[in-house]
Amino acid sequence: MEQVGATAVTVLIGVFGCTGYYFLSNRMLDRICRADVLRCNHIRPWLFMLPALVLMGLYLLYPVFVTLCLSFMDAEGDHFVGAANYLWLMQDAKFRESMLNNLMWLVVVPAASTVLGLIAAGVTDRIRWGNFAKAMIFMPMAISFIGAAVIWKLVYDYRPDGEEQIGLLNAVWTAMGGQAQVWLDSPILNSVLLMVVLIWIQTGFAMVILTAALRGISKDIVEAAVLDGASPVQVFLRIKIPQIGGTILVVWTVITVTVLKVFDIVLTMTNGQWGTQVLANLMFDWMFRGNDTGRASTVAIVIMLMVTPVMIWNIRNTLREVR
Amino acid sequence: MKPSFLMRAVVISLLAGAAQAEELKFAPGVDARFHWDSYEALKATDLQGQRLTIDGTWAGVDKALFESVIAYFEAATGAEVEYYGGDGLEQRVLIDVEAGSPPGIAIIPQPGLAADLAKRGKLTPLPPTTADWLRENYAAGQSWVDLATFEGPDGTPALYGFFYKVEVKSLVWYVPENLEDAGYSVPDSMEGLKALSDQIIADGGTPWCIGLGSGEATGWPATDWVEDLMLRNNPPQDYDAWVANEMPFDDPKVIAAIEDFGSFARNDAYVAGGVEAVGATDFRDSVKGLFTSPPACYLHHQASFIPSFFSEGTVVGQDADFFYFPAYEGKALGNPVLGSGTLFVITEDSPAAKAFMRFLQSPIAHEIWMAQSGFLTPHKGVNPETYSDMTARKMGDVLLGADTFRFDGSDLMPGAIGAGAFWTGMVDYAAGKEAAAVAADIQRTWDSIK
Repeated sequence: MEQVGATAVTVLIGVFGCTGYYFLSNRMLDRICRADVLRCNHIRPWLFMLPALVLMGLYLLYPVFVTLCLSFMDAEGDHFVGAANYLWLMQDAKFRESMLNNLMWLVVVPAASTVLGLIAAGVTDRIRWGNFAKAMIFMPMAISFIGAAVIWKLVYDYRPDGEEQIGLLNAVWTAMGGQAQVWLDSPILNSVLLMVVLIWIQTGFAMVILTAALRGISKDIVEAAVLDGASPVQVFLRIKIPQIGGTILVVWTVITVTVLKVFDIVLTMTNGQWGTQVLANLMFDWMFRGNDTGRASTVAIVIMLMVTPVMIWNIRNTLREVR
Repeated sequence: MKPSFLMRAVVISLLAGAAQAEELKFAPGVDARFHWDSYEALKATDLQGQRLTIDGTWAGVDKALFESVIAYFEAATGAEVEYYGGDGLEQRVLIDVEAGSPPGIAIIPQPGLAADLAKRGKLTPLPPTTADWLRENYAAGQSWVDLATFEGPDGTPALYGFFYKVEVKSLVWYVPENLEDAGYSVPDSMEGLKALSDQIIADGGTPWCIGLGSGEATGWPATDWVEDLMLRNNPPQDYDAWVANEMPFDDPKVIAAIEDFGSFARNDAYVAGGVEAVGATDFRDSVKGLFTSPPACYLHHQASFIPSFFSEGTVVGQDADFFYFPAYEGKALGNPVLGSGTLFVITEDSPAAKAFMRFLQSPIAHEIWMAQSGFLTPHKGVNPETYSDMTARKMGDVLLGADTFRFDGSDLMPGAIGAGAFWTGMVDYAAGKEAAAVAADIQRTWDSIK
């Protein structure tokens, strides 16, 4: 009850506070420079962006700066240790494992999600119960990563021989005549099984964006192709996909960024054991189990360095699309 | 309409906070087994209107039990105590402390973590009289003082924590009926325990249920095994040296202890579900194998808290029981006992926090929990009659019958080892990696944080 009250108050303050700020600040600006409207119009955008800029600076830029500093400090963040943390990182077996796994995630997940999303987008537009299918595919997007991980952990669950298997995968597997398996303890396969969770979530996202893009293709082009005798598959592969190439790339990169930050799924399902460690979970490990801000920050910087180029490229791409 | 609704919500939430003080479980002065005098003495402390927050790992049943103890402190002093706890304490307490909004008192299971916090100057030392009190009133008092004495930010050692509620880890759980039906008897030596395991296999059964799964903490049950076996294969000095890393993790003695664990866990015939089930099975599910019919296994090595995970209605002492995880007869190392305990530390000093720490010294704080379930204490001043059942007393006897008592080593090691590399190493070992390679990996991580 206490939380409900607090949340309600927070929401009210947030919503009215924001509206109030824009309304009042705008009004004040109008009052101040009634004469020189033109100059005011130069100030106005900055006024509106001010809260966002302040918050971004406080919660994004400042932490990045501090993290960078901390990555050159010792475990307590008290003493400068030079590049010791980075040297340690180079030699740490778990870090190498995490890098390899992250690369694997990076290749598999965006590709699989985008392709599956594209297929779903192409197919659901052509069938009668397409909207229902779309809703079903989109549903996982509404589930938090933690929730999804818990669900899938139950799907992969294993019980010792002699006990009833409650995991869906083992149920299917044994029904087909196989021996119940411990799915999450054999390297590579377990990483793939973890990736399935993220693919399951992200496919819906890819599908929605790509559906919109597909609908944006002008009918004339498609009709012309059909008149020229192109088969439906040809139309899809040769006409439609090149037309939405830009959108596909955006979807791909957005998922790529998500993948680089993947953490919740790994923490919940294996905690990086059995060779499934990833960078974000490694960072968490050193921060909260190792109590070592230096090393955790170093891993964080590595993640940021990997995400940044993709982000920049993505933003540029989006800007070009907008123009 | 809307404002009035909001007002009502606020009023209700305020009322809910005030009405939290719960009923006292045992009416003061009624049951003569309790030391009510210590409760009456507490009333001299007036903390009317003061608030105290406590964070810990206890959730569910344990949370309710601890709150029933807190209720007496609230009733006697008038202070308002809020306990919030659950999984992830290790992370939460670090975040709260670093962010400058610590709880008043934190209940930390790992002395290693508390030592870290003390060194960063985030803890308030306890008065010197507390150390004297512990030596006087706790069984093996000096060892409890030593375990909670850490270096402060300036390097001077001081007592920072107070152990309340301890666990015995060196226990093997079994179902008496199953053992009786098969004609087995409880072994009193490690040789006997291994012979019994072989006998069970010869009779077509499976002796052990072992599960290392524990969500984010997967692997810890194996660390208890290795620690117990370390104490049974080597003198306690070696154990201390190992925990402090004066003896490297890849010392042949440590590797031998890991391999001794392997003689149980990496033997397909020994464990229910075979070796590959060990790493993946949750420890909370693993123990259930004792109760299936026919039994999936006969024996389960686990600490004194495991009855919390038995299915409802299971009576310990009847439906399930335990015996001391025995020592090797041939090694003459006595009867070592491995245990652990939860450490109360003051993360934000206040009169209420200090008073609560004093409250923990009073017999009544122990007896209220003892009279319910799942509580062990080394406090010599409490009335053992208040234990709700014989089981707890029997566990207390294990504790008292120890020639050597040692604290859970993984909780004493630095977090990156005891809650990181050691767990990972054990998971890898259970999955088939060589003991020597696992030990070398752990030592490498340990070297890297020195």
